[in-house]
Amino acid sequence: MRIFARDEQPAPSIDSDRMLAVRGLRKYFPIKEGAMQRVAGHVKAVDGVSFDLKRGDTLGLVGESGCGKTTLGKCVSGLVDPTEGGVYFSLSDEVQLQLDDLLAIPAENRTEAEEAELDRLEQLHRVDRMGRDSWRHYRRNCQVVFQESFASLNPRHLVKDIVGRPLRVHREASGDELTNRVVDLLEQVGMGRQHLYRYPHQFSGGQRQRISVARALALDPELIVLDEPTSALDVSVQAQILNLLHELQQEHNLTYLFISHDLSVVRHMADQIVVMYLGRVAEAGPTEAIFDQPMHPYTEALLAASPEIGAVDDSMPSLEGSVPDPARPPSGCRFHTRCPVATPLCGWDVDDVVRWLEDSDGMFDALTGVTRDSEFDAWFTFDSTEDAGRLGEAVKSDSVSASMRGALEEVTVDGNRIRLRFTPVDPVELTVRGPDHVAACVLERRERGV
Amino acid sequence: MTVATDDMVVPSRAGAAVASVVDLRVHFRSKAGIVHAVDGVSFDIKDGETLGLVGETGCGKTVTARSFLGLVPTPPGIIAGGSILFRSHQACPSCGGAGCDRCTETGQHTVDLLDIPESEMRAIRGDRIAMVFQDPGKALNPALSIRAQVAEVFYQHRWRELLADAGIDEDDRSIASSLIRRKARDLSRWPEDILLSLPPLRAKRNRLRTVTRARVADALAETQIANPKKLMERYPHELSGGMRQRVMIAQALACDPDLLIADEPTTALDVTVQARILDLVKELQERHRTSVLYISHDLSLVSKVCDRVAVMYAGRIVETAATDVIFSDPRHPYTRGLLAAIPAASHERGKLVGISGTVPELIDPPAMCRFAGRCPYEAELCRTTDPMPASAGEDHEVACFIHDAPPGATGLPSFDLRVR
Repeated sequence: MRIFARDEQPAPSIDSDRMLAVRGLRKYFPIKEGAMQRVAGHVKAVDGVSFDLKRGDTLGLVGESGCGKTTLGKCVSGLVDPTEGGVYFSLSDEVQLQLDDLLAIPAENRTEAEEAELDRLEQLHRVDRMGRDSWRHYRRNCQVVFQESFASLNPRHLVKDIVGRPLRVHREASGDELTNRVVDLLEQVGMGRQHLYRYPHQFSGGQRQRISVARALALDPELIVLDEPTSALDVSVQAQILNLLHELQQEHNLTYLFISHDLSVVRHMADQIVVMYLGRVAEAGPTEAIFDQPMHPYTEALLAASPEIGAVDDSMPSLEGSVPDPARPPSGCRFHTRCPVATPLCGWDVDDVVRWLEDSDGMFDALTGVTRDSEFDAWFTFDSTEDAGRLGEAVKSDSVSASMRGALEEVTVDGNRIRLRFTPVDPVELTVRGPDHVAACVLERRERGV
Repeated sequence: MTVATDDMVVPSRAGAAVASVVDLRVHFRSKAGIVHAVDGVSFDIKDGETLGLVGETGCGKTVTARSFLGLVPTPPGIIAGGSILFRSHQACPSCGGAGCDRCTETGQHTVDLLDIPESEMRAIRGDRIAMVFQDPGKALNPALSIRAQVAEVFYQHRWRELLADAGIDEDDRSIASSLIRRKARDLSRWPEDILLSLPPLRAKRNRLRTVTRARVADALAETQIANPKKLMERYPHELSGGMRQRVMIAQALACDPDLLIADEPTTALDVTVQARILDLVKELQERHRTSVLYISHDLSLVSKVCDRVAVMYAGRIVETAATDVIFSDPRHPYTRGLLAAIPAASHERGKLVGISGTVPELIDPPAMCRFAGRCPYEAELCRTTDPMPASAGEDHEVACFIHDAPPGATGLPSFDLRVR
């Protein structure tokens, strides 16, 4: 029974099958430089992500480290305020439609009435703008289980304090009742009364993760954000925890946002999957669709790279290079720098040339400056005429990829300077590939010859 | 000190073991008692093969690996018994490759790694046996450039070759040469460095520096690092996880070791990077004919890279077999449990078959099967007697009474061999 003494009522829990809506979420972290801590740029950890989370579902969020999946999880759980866009909670279907309509209008075109209405809705539903009571309601209903159970449990607190803390904060129980509630919770995760008065270091990794889960369950939440809950565990323990999470989900009709880099675990747990790459959604859809018919080359590469016992394909095809700097993400499709099937339309730009120069012997040291007219058009200045000539030769030869050559519209050598101009392209949007299945790739599956 | 030159290399006989671990016991002193971290482990690493050592956290796999290189801290560690015989590809110093008692007629330089002085261990460590650690972020020194760290291997083990490359005569006893010699062994103190920077010696020092850099660049290029000359001037924090692990591998393979110990080399990396590092290790292994001891907790990885697998549990090896046999016909209940716990496409959600219970405490363990208490096939005998590894097929050993019942034993459960 929840009692709110204040006049502002929180949005009621509704029976809509939508748990959470993420709309145009962006989170930029400033890069500070020098003694004055001047902001020199932004790391675009999450850069325009939208998805819906259904009640009782498990949404798997996968991607390499540094793709922004943990930041997204933190935005959803309200631990980090997004830079732009937002996470909307407990929306009924009409409100959702109303909100989407309002958000579709560009900010400068909104009338005053529309602005006021949007403001009202955001105060009720948007996680980082919620009024006090809505926020309290949200905090009870959204809990987090972190990856490092060692770091997320206070080493100086007893298990009873750790698991009982949410109950205390929300004034749910105290004294004997608190102890009984904590024992109940511990029993739900397969532990017991004998563990009440122990410290986190006295438990194994699996048990500590169980304590984290018990704490998350304390307030009977609707949504749990699981941030790599089993990455630090052994397979046999991982199996126990995954089974436990599934049982609890069945029992309490929980909704999970399951963040993991382990595809076999995500495949086992998730109903829906969102594949992220460098802060963007590369592909999203139902689990079977993603695994059986991946539509994005990045998803394919991830699937191919994850080893599986008895897999037919024994040669592990692997992805070239590493994830580019998220402070200067590549234009067009962000994956084009590593994509095995990249085309001239994928967004080759000046930064790609700079990256190529960095990897080639001696050329980068000879580079003295780059004057950009745009992302796709720049003058490269070198120490000597020969070096400029070498770059001019290189970009026409096999030493750069064919698709990059295809995107080059102009190469002008002028003494020790060289101008390179690429075909400008827009960011690649998500397009529908099947029921509930979207992918951000310029190619159709059949065009890739799959 | 032994120096590998081509004419001294003895080809090992087919199927010979590069290292044999016999009844290794490593214990640790703790407040609660003696922890038997490794308790009677025996296995062979054959020449040129990749042996996988698999097990859960705390089963003793890392301690086993570290005892190869004398990296177990004593105290609190106690080498309680056993031996690790290591046969390098170098000729036996006492018979010159002809075969004698000391090298058990193989003609190869054979030593017991647990029973050699530290100076000899230093000559082997990094040269004949190299190790790649789990977390390259922690294993590399953050205060030294990549060049300095990779060069250390050459200063330690290949300084004679560095001198030869730089055209400095080793037998030259002049002060100038001995200063350079000390420089090549990384023994110079700052006054010597000042002398070396003065004109009469500077040319020699610079020559030494150039050849060292060339060697470091070659070693890095081996691991497919683009533009190694630029990369080697950087510091570890400037590199991505995958790049750091490449540097570690370059460092490990710089001296062309006979045995490479890879302790969870890809655990800290992403799957895409992991795949590339594994490809790299495989390729380099084939090129250098190095044997690899591959330690991992991930069975699916082991199935990709290893020729043979040894499964460890609570300080013991419970099953050893060729990789395809382990995965198609696992005989030990623990191996079966591990395999069943990996989530596969066919598993129904919430129906993963974990292994119930937790790993037992290893403080003064009683003489019984270590897996008793978690084993679905447990019998009375398992709680009173300790099973020993016994043959369960060609090159397949299992330590379980189901396969090796002592005469007269009763009450053992039947074990359906077809089930997987």
